[in-house]
Amino acid sequence: MKPFGLALRMLWRDSRSGELSILFLALLIAVTSSTAIALFSDRLERTMTDQTAEFLAADMVISSHATIPEPWLEKAAQLNLAQAQTAEFSSVLIEHDELLLAGIKAVSADYPLRGFLKTTTSDYSTETIEHQGPEPGFAWVEKRVLSALKLNIGDPLTVGEKKLVVSKIITYEPDKQGDIYSLSPRVMINKQDLQETGVIQPGSHVHYFFQFSGEQSQLTEFKRWVKPQLNLAQRIMDIHEDRPELGSALNRAKRYLGLSSIVVIIISGVAIAMATRRYTERHLDATAILRCLGCKQSDVLWLFVSQFLILGLMTSALGCGLGWVVQEMLFELLRNLLPQTIANSGVLAVFFGMMTGMTVLIGFALPPLLRLKRVSPARVLRRDLEPLPSSAWLVYGLAFGIVGVLIWRYTEDLNMTATIFCAGLVLLLVLGLLVYLLLILARRSLPFMSLNLRFGLQGLLRNSRATVSQILAFTITLVAMALSFTVRTDLIENWHKQLPEHAANHFALNIFPEQLPSLQKEFKEQGIEGSQFFPVIRGRLTEINGVPVQKIVSKDSQGESATHRELSLTWTENLPEDNKVIIGNWWTPEKKGEVSVEQKLADSLKIRLGDQLLFIVGGQQLTATVSSIRSLQWDTMKPNFYMIFSPGSLESFPGTFLTSFYLPDNKKTVLNQLVKQYPAMTILEVDLILKQFKTILTQLTEAINYLLYFALMAGFTVLFSAIYSTLDNRIYESALLRTFGANRSLLRLTHIIEFTLLGLVSGVLAVVISEGLLYALYSKALTMDYRPTYYLWIALPLIGAFSVGLAGCWGVRHVVNIPPLRVLRDT
Amino acid sequence: MQTPFSRNIIVTENLGKSVKTSGGTLHILSDISLQVASGESIAIAGESGSGKSTLISLLAGLDTPTIGSINLNGKSLTSMDEDGRAAMRNQLVGFVFQSFQLLQGLTALENVMLPLELRGDKKAKDAAIGLLQRVGLSERLTHTPRQLSGGEQQRVALARAFVSKPAVLFADEPTGNLDSKTGAKIIDLLFELNQENNTTLILVTHDQTLANRCQRIIKLAAGRMV
Ligand SMILES: Nc1ncnc2c1ncn2[C@@H]1O[C@H](COP(=O)(O)OP(=O)(O)OP(=O)(O)O)[C@@H](O)[C@H]1O
Ligand SMILES: [Mg+2]
Repeated sequence: MKPFGLALRMLWRDSRSGELSILFLALLIAVTSSTAIALFSDRLERTMTDQTAEFLAADMVISSHATIPEPWLEKAAQLNLAQAQTAEFSSVLIEHDELLLAGIKAVSADYPLRGFLKTTTSDYSTETIEHQGPEPGFAWVEKRVLSALKLNIGDPLTVGEKKLVVSKIITYEPDKQGDIYSLSPRVMINKQDLQETGVIQPGSHVHYFFQFSGEQSQLTEFKRWVKPQLNLAQRIMDIHEDRPELGSALNRAKRYLGLSSIVVIIISGVAIAMATRRYTERHLDATAILRCLGCKQSDVLWLFVSQFLILGLMTSALGCGLGWVVQEMLFELLRNLLPQTIANSGVLAVFFGMMTGMTVLIGFALPPLLRLKRVSPARVLRRDLEPLPSSAWLVYGLAFGIVGVLIWRYTEDLNMTATIFCAGLVLLLVLGLLVYLLLILARRSLPFMSLNLRFGLQGLLRNSRATVSQILAFTITLVAMALSFTVRTDLIENWHKQLPEHAANHFALNIFPEQLPSLQKEFKEQGIEGSQFFPVIRGRLTEINGVPVQKIVSKDSQGESATHRELSLTWTENLPEDNKVIIGNWWTPEKKGEVSVEQKLADSLKIRLGDQLLFIVGGQQLTATVSSIRSLQWDTMKPNFYMIFSPGSLESFPGTFLTSFYLPDNKKTVLNQLVKQYPAMTILEVDLILKQFKTILTQLTEAINYLLYFALMAGFTVLFSAIYSTLDNRIYESALLRTFGANRSLLRLTHIIEFTLLGLVSGVLAVVISEGLLYALYSKALTMDYRPTYYLWIALPLIGAFSVGLAGCWGVRHVVNIPPLRVLRDT
Repeated sequence: MQTPFSRNIIVTENLGKSVKTSGGTLHILSDISLQVASGESIAIAGESGSGKSTLISLLAGLDTPTIGSINLNGKSLTSMDEDGRAAMRNQLVGFVFQSFQLLQGLTALENVMLPLELRGDKKAKDAAIGLLQRVGLSERLTHTPRQLSGGEQQRVALARAFVSKPAVLFADEPTGNLDSKTGAKIIDLLFELNQENNTTLILVTHDQTLANRCQRIIKLAAGRMV
């Protein structure tokens, strides 16, 4: 026998008679949506990474205190990475007898690789977008430089020994970075002029940034290649490591996209399993005949499996195409929000869609299909010879395995996968049991019910095994939809919280203690909302319990970079906003010599409660006992400190103050006044960055909304088709009832009760499961606070009852209208 | 496939079938020993529940006996595994059932082609069309079973049974679902085809006149030959 050709013909014959439509639909939705989501999130992520790369002015930066070895640059060139360089150093500028410590930045011709600069020529005239820095011989300066040095555009400015001409005012610089606590006004010059300034001498404090951009894969390779060669003073920066607030927003969005994929896949998996079950049941007779005609068991299996494989491949191909279209449409909807250039769609994502389709098909369809192998040929003579259903272990094991692999693929976190997995398993088992108990209870109370209710319930009780699996299937679908809905709502809420309407968009640094009272008064008069004024004392952590920190830290860790530079130390009486004490206690009775350490740094340096830390502050030694470990939110634009001391510990050391505040656009002129009044104070304007950040969050929010609608649509479609695939038996039974004289209204009511009950129970169970999963998800995956979503408690049962009820009654509507004989003959 | 000639195409010895039920062991068939010569036609008669269907399902290798042995065309069915029996069915055996047992999704032509397709026969279509013509359904090739009457469906089943030129044809009450006039026509056709192909026929029926058209009658009562 030539099974493949035969399989193809049988597939064609089956599809002609409509046997495959539900299966086809479920599979199509699975592949279409997973392809669409994979493509969409891949592109969105790359678009966003491109966009956020602007904050670094490149995709990846190596920061170093000296020029990096030539082979590194050659390697980068080999990998087709674009390159640019900047060098930053502080220099005192003197013009018109005025002195100013300026932050000089010499940039190469290709700077910036990502993003752009903005300049203006006179105070408030229009801004120009620049894709290059100043030409040799010219300097661009921040406005503050002009006022401080009494300069005008076109005036000469001497940097070191090099005389330059001030040609433009910089209003925006994408990669304004470094230690914000020592930021001085910017003077940007061309790299070619750097040598002639004469500032660069052995031992001078210059910071080099070697910037690279290009294909992600090449970047990754370069990073892998270069990382082992870095010395202690060199560091790789990229978007995830150096912009935590963006990194975490992106990561959460990415995880959400992943979650949506899983949700859609699970939903369609359930539908595929149900559709295959129906397919199997409808093919029992045909299989018996085939066996009778001499098909071996393995032939039968091969025949059906190859039919499914062919169907899977064809449907997956179609789904991939459709997914691509859907994803294009999603981008079209987002067009106005997204940057001009959108990253291209990756071909890999299409293959992934294909793979997903086949995996889901095999995982969910194989177990029910295997049943056909065991059909006895004697069934042609005795119809009651039903093959045993596949073992529950196989059915659920395979499906669970596949879902587990998918979760793992998206989260890349074995621990979390295991958590979700076990939680899900336990919940399902408990629920299965619960449903059984419910059914038993229902059976007991049957005699006390009205005829309609009894008929409806009996419909569910007659085949309790099928009812349980149907309830579980609907529950899973509802849970999946509820999850994507709630997580999305909370995610967006969380982002809003992260960036409230009046989030601080300016930092004021270098405030001297004697200026504090008058400045505070000034703020009050101007109506400026600001955070607390934090004292800042620069110090270095040198020993932990008498052991030098260098011996403790591992290379490349956060601790390593923290111990290589001076930290900003502060003291305060009250725990700052957004800070949370995790271990130990915040000092209540004021106690000198205690310090509270940020959690991640403490982890990295293995600092524990009660450890003695030695700091060098302004040449003096200072010891403090660790009395608490704090977590804080790095993703808000607020002053954050690794080390907070108890009151009385740091007062004797010289320091300045720092605060952050919100200034609306129309009050910006206040800045000029402040700068004039407090010349030593540094104002750091982060409003542009914040706006950019906000735009990105809005884009993500919109994208996620569309994705949710998409997932919900897929969910409902699949739910309906899943209900359809359970109707055969019901239609048959109803037709029988009609032949016995049951009237239409009785049947209709029976159906309504039966399906609504099915949906209602599924909805209630879905509430329990989704709350459980949400808890696991929030605490483990999304690091957000969990709180019960009460509206779901009402919404889910209602949605379940309504949608299952509606779809079910719609599906069986004919049975009450057309002659029963025709129904009986057709099934 | 022609094996060394054996006069008896079916030989059974002390065949028995019992099943375990909640109420103990139920003996459906006991002590069935019979020989069927090649080309012979045999009727199996008996009351409902006497074990007729069980017997032919054993003879055709659809099911396995609890004790005893069956030889089909010189080969021991009882010592074969399920795949071996499947191969025997494919090569030697044809079926006609009371409930027709056509594949609902397939057209008449495709139903008849199926046994040959399973063998990988290239000329399946021509042979199937030929037989459908022979049973008088050349106009209904593309119709599905639902579009055919009971008698027409049974004629398709006959065409399907003979298309593979089986050595033995098993028919389990082929007219049980038909009115007597249609039934008689089907039986005529069955015997005609049987003669044309020189097939061994094992026919289950409780219709005495029909049983009499066979060369020999085996009567079953409570699972035993009487
Ligand atoms: N697998 C089984 N399990 C339990 N009982 C069985 C099984 N197979 C057959 N029987 C019983 O064995 C007896 C004989 O069945 P069989 O189908 O062979 O009868 P039959 O002679 O074909 O009857 P009919 O004329 O009604 O078709 C019946 O009582 C039947 O219920
Ligand atoms: Mg019978």
